[in-house]
Amino acid sequence: MKNDPSWNPYLKSLLLIAAASLLGEGVQRFLAPANLVMLYLLVVVVSAIRWGRGPAVSASFVSVLAFDFLFVPPRLTFSVADSQYLLTFAGLLIVALVISALAAQARDRAIEANQREAQATLLYNLSRNLAAAYDLKAVLEILGDHARQIARNEVALFLPEDSALKVCYKTPGFFIGENETAVATLAFQKDLTTGGGTETLPSSGARYLPLKTTQGISGVLAYKFEAALDEESERLLQALANQAAVAIDRALLAEKAHQIELLQETEKLQKLLLNSVSHDLRTPLVSIKGALSSLLEDGALDPKARRELLENAYEESDRLNQIVGNLLDMTRVETGLVKMVKKPCDLSDVIGVSLQQIPKERIGKHPIAIHISPEFPEIFMDLSLMIKTFVNILDNALKYSPADAGVEINAKIVHDHAEIEFTDHGIGIPSKDLTRIFDKFFRSEHSHTVPGTGLGLAICKGIVEAHQGEIRVESRLNQGTRIVVSLPLSQAQNKSNAK
Amino acid sequence: MIKPDAALRILIVDDEKSIRRFLKTTLHAQGFQVFEAATGQEALENSVADHPDALILDLGLPDMDGIEVTREIRKRSQIPIVILSVREQEADKIAALDAGADDYLTKPFSSGELLARLRAVMRRLLPQEEDQVLKVGKLTVDLSKRMICIKDQPVKLTPTEYDVLKVLALNSGKVITHRHLLQAVWNKTEDLEGVAHLLRVTMSNLRNKIEPDPNRPFYILTEPGIGYRLRSEL
Repeated sequence: MKNDPSWNPYLKSLLLIAAASLLGEGVQRFLAPANLVMLYLLVVVVSAIRWGRGPAVSASFVSVLAFDFLFVPPRLTFSVADSQYLLTFAGLLIVALVISALAAQARDRAIEANQREAQATLLYNLSRNLAAAYDLKAVLEILGDHARQIARNEVALFLPEDSALKVCYKTPGFFIGENETAVATLAFQKDLTTGGGTETLPSSGARYLPLKTTQGISGVLAYKFEAALDEESERLLQALANQAAVAIDRALLAEKAHQIELLQETEKLQKLLLNSVSHDLRTPLVSIKGALSSLLEDGALDPKARRELLENAYEESDRLNQIVGNLLDMTRVETGLVKMVKKPCDLSDVIGVSLQQIPKERIGKHPIAIHISPEFPEIFMDLSLMIKTFVNILDNALKYSPADAGVEINAKIVHDHAEIEFTDHGIGIPSKDLTRIFDKFFRSEHSHTVPGTGLGLAICKGIVEAHQGEIRVESRLNQGTRIVVSLPLSQAQNKSNAK
Repeated sequence: MIKPDAALRILIVDDEKSIRRFLKTTLHAQGFQVFEAATGQEALENSVADHPDALILDLGLPDMDGIEVTREIRKRSQIPIVILSVREQEADKIAALDAGADDYLTKPFSSGELLARLRAVMRRLLPQEEDQVLKVGKLTVDLSKRMICIKDQPVKLTPTEYDVLKVLALNSGKVITHRHLLQAVWNKTEDLEGVAHLLRVTMSNLRNKIEPDPNRPFYILTEPGIGYRLRSEL
């Protein structure tokens, strides 16, 4: 109805009067003219309810004229023979006007109620959606989406960030330049609706509403302003702005709380790390310092003792180096600072290099059997990271095994994956610990006589997973452990081997 | 093997005093004459003033990067340069080698490793002869006769395998990059990634012929991500 030209309701009420007149014409033989007044009153009531005050008032006057012209003798003139009809006219007019007023009022109330309901529904939907939003980004999307529906135009949301206002959400067609930000900033700083249709910078193409809470202003809602919106939409946008302010504040608070939680988690981790590492770093340093001070101070040491002390210090420095390396690797893997460079690699070469990097004293008398077919396909991997993985796994296999126990390395193809198995015949892992063996800093009680940081396998897991692979463990207490690294054999890589 | 005499002069460039001290003591005991520099600028000046025969260069210098120092020095001198660094990323090593360094060593290292590297790069100072015979353990590489023996038994190599081994033997003890090998043996300068598998396959075959345990190579060592190195001493 709103889109109809404004004269349309008047025309319709006139048509209704014409219809009433025709009906009156039909029944006037049976009824006294004074009773026909009822027909016109009916028209006025209908007009008032359907089209409001204006058409009803005009219908009241036209009804009097039509009644006079058509039904009051002498008919088809405006002159009145019987002056008592003048009283009828006055009565008709007054009653019609009173009805108009009352009916129009009722209509206004009904419309208002409808609007309130629509508004309530919309705001209800909005708050329901907002309640389900889990972060600021989602909150902004919901707000933006609802605002766009109400304004039926492009919208944007500005939030303060480092003392300047920044666009945090916008529909694709909303261009935000320096000018737009400036008008928004004005709205933000002055707590004022600015832009199109206001007294402040009305020439800008959009309107800017400050988002107010009791704490202050949390942002600015902007919508493109082409023509003034109807009152209802304006009210709704204002209501949305109020809700938006609260929702944004809440989301920001939640985010802050989450960060604090993260920080606490990090602190807990750092504490753990500090405890574990300070012990592990100190132990080799104690040996090194002790050995060196004996060598410096005690001139009476025989050559054999000197040699032993030196060897001890040397081995401990290797261990220290390994711990520091593990810590660095862990940090790199965790923070995503590792840049992966994946290239096709010859598995037996990678295994060879890994073994080469393990100190000779560690390998000692352990027989190491490698079963990798010369035809084994090349695997796409980051060479240096995969070497770290294999070194860590082999180092574990060696250090948790009796001095002469063998270690076997097997490679096989399972579906589209290469599976590399490292099997030792060492102390094994209790089954209750198997699920946690790849956790950071986890060390099985069973292994506490052997020094370690509890980082090696966590690093391996990080690296293998970064290769879209999988690392598994099978173990039997006091019989041995098998670690399986499964890496995808990619399509591209199969091609390069199809020579 | 070269016996360094007193005439060989080494310039140590490292900003850590304790590392310079340890290097100085070790090298001095081996009969080298040792000079020091703590910054890149000093390194550039002293590499002229001290007339060193070789440079030991740290990458992380306070005023400029060691790679930059290498590049500057290479503009006017072919002096052997061994890089010392805590950086273990392949990219850093390749960048240093591409800039003109002869070899590198990752910190921490043992003095034995450092001396072996120094000997290998300084061998370049001696007159190079194509007809030299290299003997490491049971492996003999006789370039004049094009003969490779394991335990005095000749090994039959394909021409490509021989060429790869020849490049490594001429630079024994030194790291040779993939790029260097692909250029020298296959004459490839472009799309090195695409032909890298030729080198890997040849290397695998070569190892199968000369290594006692091809899965755990002894003579031809892999420098992960960089290249290969032929062992020059036991």
